[in-house]
Amino acid sequence: MWSLIRLISLRHVLGSPLRALLTLVGVAVGVATLVGIAAINRSVMEAFRSTIDTVAGKADLTVAAETSGFPEELLETVRAVPGVLHASGGISVVAPVKDAPGESMYVLGVDLLDDGFFRTYEGVDTDVGKLADDLEFLNSTDRVLVTDTYATAHGLETGDAIHLVTPDGEKPFIIHGLLKETGPLKAFGGSVAVMFFGSLQEAFSKGRTLTRIDVAIDAKVGLEGMKERLQKAVGSNIEVESPDRRGQAVQTMVRSFQLGLNLGSGVALLVGVFLVYNTVSISVVQRRREIGTLRALGATRRRIRALFAFEAGVFGLVGSVLGLPMGLLVAKLAMSTVSDSISEIYVKVNARSVELGATELAVGLTMGILGSVLAALRPSWVASAVQPVEALRKDAAIGAGAVAVKSWPTYLGILLLLVAYPVTQIPPPLENFPIGGYASIFFILMGVTLLSPLVLRWLNYPFRGPGQFLFGISGRLAADNFARAPVRTSVPVGAMSIGVTMAVTLAAFIGSFQKSADEWISQAIPADLFVTSSAKLAGVQNQPMQAAIGDEIRAIPNVEVVDPVRLLQHDALGLRIFVISLNQEIYSSRGKPLILEGTLPTPEQREANFVVLSENLARRRNLGVGSTFPMKTPTGEHTYTVGAIIIDYTSDQGSVILDRTIFMKQFLTDQVDTFHVYLRDRATLEQTRAAITAKLGQRFDLYVLSNVELRDEARKLLSSAFSITYAMEAVAVALALLGIINTLLAAVLDRTREIGLLRAVGADRKQIIKLFAGEAFFIGLTGSLIGVMTGGVVGYIVTKIVGVQATGWNFPFSYPWATAVQMVVVATLAAIIAGLYPARRAARLDVVEALAYE
Amino acid sequence: MIEVSNVVKVYRRGKNEVPALQGVSLTVPRGQFLSVMGSSGSGKSTLLNLLGALDVPTSGTLKIDGKEISRFPDDELSRFRRDRLGFIFQFFNLLPTLTAVENVVLPELLAGKHRDELEPKAKLLLEQFGLKGRHSHRPDELSGGEMQRVAIARALLSEPALLLADEPTGNLDSRTGSEVLKLIREATRARNLTVVMVTHDPKAAEVGDRLVLLADGRIVGDDPVRVAA
Repeated sequence: MWSLIRLISLRHVLGSPLRALLTLVGVAVGVATLVGIAAINRSVMEAFRSTIDTVAGKADLTVAAETSGFPEELLETVRAVPGVLHASGGISVVAPVKDAPGESMYVLGVDLLDDGFFRTYEGVDTDVGKLADDLEFLNSTDRVLVTDTYATAHGLETGDAIHLVTPDGEKPFIIHGLLKETGPLKAFGGSVAVMFFGSLQEAFSKGRTLTRIDVAIDAKVGLEGMKERLQKAVGSNIEVESPDRRGQAVQTMVRSFQLGLNLGSGVALLVGVFLVYNTVSISVVQRRREIGTLRALGATRRRIRALFAFEAGVFGLVGSVLGLPMGLLVAKLAMSTVSDSISEIYVKVNARSVELGATELAVGLTMGILGSVLAALRPSWVASAVQPVEALRKDAAIGAGAVAVKSWPTYLGILLLLVAYPVTQIPPPLENFPIGGYASIFFILMGVTLLSPLVLRWLNYPFRGPGQFLFGISGRLAADNFARAPVRTSVPVGAMSIGVTMAVTLAAFIGSFQKSADEWISQAIPADLFVTSSAKLAGVQNQPMQAAIGDEIRAIPNVEVVDPVRLLQHDALGLRIFVISLNQEIYSSRGKPLILEGTLPTPEQREANFVVLSENLARRRNLGVGSTFPMKTPTGEHTYTVGAIIIDYTSDQGSVILDRTIFMKQFLTDQVDTFHVYLRDRATLEQTRAAITAKLGQRFDLYVLSNVELRDEARKLLSSAFSITYAMEAVAVALALLGIINTLLAAVLDRTREIGLLRAVGADRKQIIKLFAGEAFFIGLTGSLIGVMTGGVVGYIVTKIVGVQATGWNFPFSYPWATAVQMVVVATLAAIIAGLYPARRAARLDVVEALAYE
Repeated sequence: MIEVSNVVKVYRRGKNEVPALQGVSLTVPRGQFLSVMGSSGSGKSTLLNLLGALDVPTSGTLKIDGKEISRFPDDELSRFRRDRLGFIFQFFNLLPTLTAVENVVLPELLAGKHRDELEPKAKLLLEQFGLKGRHSHRPDELSGGEMQRVAIARALLSEPALLLADEPTGNLDSRTGSEVLKLIREATRARNLTVVMVTHDPKAAEVGDRLVLLADGRIVGDDPVRVAA
């Protein structure tokens, strides 16, 4: 077998090095994308987990209310529970660094003496043991410990100040000493500051609350038993979990985002693997006589099959191996974009470094090789069906592949398309895991690809006219050639259509969402100015402000009304939702909330815990007007009644909208994330903005956005969230272009004699170039046309089914006409350009040799 | 019509130089049917390629219709082939996707002429060549003899000055072969066309007016063909 491979396969591969190279590039880029995205997804989650884990230290159980906190007296309650060996309380905040957009520090407030039980702090220039008695450290509210690596990286030393934004505005925090980057200081990418918890409470206006109590338990009682006891002691509104269970809310939250990225990278690999299919199919066609000869000489069918499968496997192996280092590059390039998006939308993560782990290496190699071998299944089966008698055929390559209508690819293609819709209805097995929808997308892509050879056959007639019109007689012949070897041309057509489909799908989803979100911002929250601290958009990245700031804003001339809005991320209903508190009087009189069901609660109803639910949360949790649901708050678990369901695009996880007075009572905080400012006179908007900035800007690192700017920011956030996915679709289209080159190179070889004939009867070089450029044109045109059509269907599925499953949002679908037209034009032009190289090769063929070619 | 003087053609095969023609001189008057014979490797195909403006000589001059074509740039050669020459090949070389009539008009389409004005003429030619009612058939629906007749029609449609035939009967049985030869003979005589036909079949060669024998790249015989008894 080995010598057969060396003699037959290797020679053939080396005989067309460019095609071999294109194939390898295809696999490599596909694998690189897959591996890179997988590494990013893992690194982001690991960065988040490691923050939890390293902070959790050796705790057996953690009593936590991460988002809303709880009174610090609870620590004594916990300590009193029998079986608790040790308990240590802490509080942490993520504080934006002043004048460094997007940069934050994880500030950990602990009692160093107590905390040493769970976590190891090692001083560099400080004796940690003595800090517990260091009054300067304990009594001042601005003393922090940071790691030596952080200090070095930022050019800081002991005694210098770090400027962080707090609810009271920017404050300098003095570096009291340096710690080694070990234990909890490895969390959050090392951007960690340690304070005495009392100081942190003071500096960040946290009252006397904690967010976490770590507990060491008596092993004899057992984890479950202790969990039960603790839960009973602290009440149902606070979670008691083992550290490894924590962080699951975040994992669930970002799952659909990460799944989307995985889908994109999977598509890139799929298209890459298409190139293997293409190459192996072509080589089977071109080697029919050779295969016939081998068969005549006694090679079994199995051996022929193995030969081609092996060839594909080698492409897969070499391509994957090349793809792995490229994957690291992809990961490094895309890492910050992805982690920024996650930080902006879901949870602040500090993930900057990314490495390829064993998982990614294994996945990359497996998928690359397996994909390639699978791609070769059909061509090698075709090869093994070659009869020994074909050894005698003269026109070796003529069988570029007729397509039988009644063949298994047709049936399979139809079957896949038929089941695509029912598959979407499979309920997601996990929260935010719309697997049915994604499977259906895959089915549609494969179904369309399998059926496309049939379509090509029929396109020959309709394409002749346009071909003739654009490229003269060459164009007409190109239309014939395009349809004539569908097995060969359908692969780049399929690859192109997949790339375009995904791009159109994405544009459809984003466009539809954007349209609705724009409408929401301009109608439901029509404030003239939006004031936030440390981030342009309130939610995940900003620093909440003291309520008193509202009074300062109100005092500015021309400001009519200020609505203090809180956007608190909170774990409720099994999701990390947003609890939005606002002044409902202002909300209902100034804005036009887009109510879908019910009416905004009356003041009496509000007192009775009537709230407003976002459409997506209602859908996700199957709640309607009148439904009740429980929610844990710092003042215990309350039951809420749904008064109205409205359109709200604050979070894909969902929002509960509460009146501010009720919120303050129940959540024990009056902090504000964003002030919605309504002006008396819009004409003086700029002056008012300048006045706000002059008065408060420096202190709070303020962003003051107009309604239009807020819409732009939301739009930017959305497009940056999908920028990597877009890039991957572009990769898929680029790989499709390689497929076109690959196919046309083979076509030049197969039609050499024909080219010779055309030249002999008077075709000049330009006409030959047009012949192949024309074929490339038809490949690009067909692929992109199929793509924009399929993209409409898949876009609809993503918007109306997958999106609804993943987010609960059900917004109207709008077809992205502009993108579709753009894609057809760009893909077709790019295809022509890709076709130029093979075309020039064809045009340069020596006429005499071409005529003598077999 | 054709003036070949002292033409040398040398091919490079790797490091070796292979002389294909070693100083061939030949004059063919208008309307003459010249058969060229020789064993394989004698240089007959090379001569045909040079005459067909498919290739250029290494040295020597080659005039067709008074035009020195050996120094033409590629595009001009293409145009020349299109306008002045007709080709018939051993393997017919019809485009499989085109119908008979489409194959016939192809060179003229390449020349930029309009299909509508060509088709009636092409159909007429096909009818004359005994292919009435077959003009919308594709090559794979035609027999070998029929395909070659389509190829002859293709070669003649543009009313070329010179018809070049490379083993036109090499792929046909002897009866069909002689029918095809008869057709070429009659069609070209009627049009006063110059024909150069390369063959290694002595019977086929007898159709011509004159027989040139090639061996090792040189002319070793040049005689008028005696009218067969």
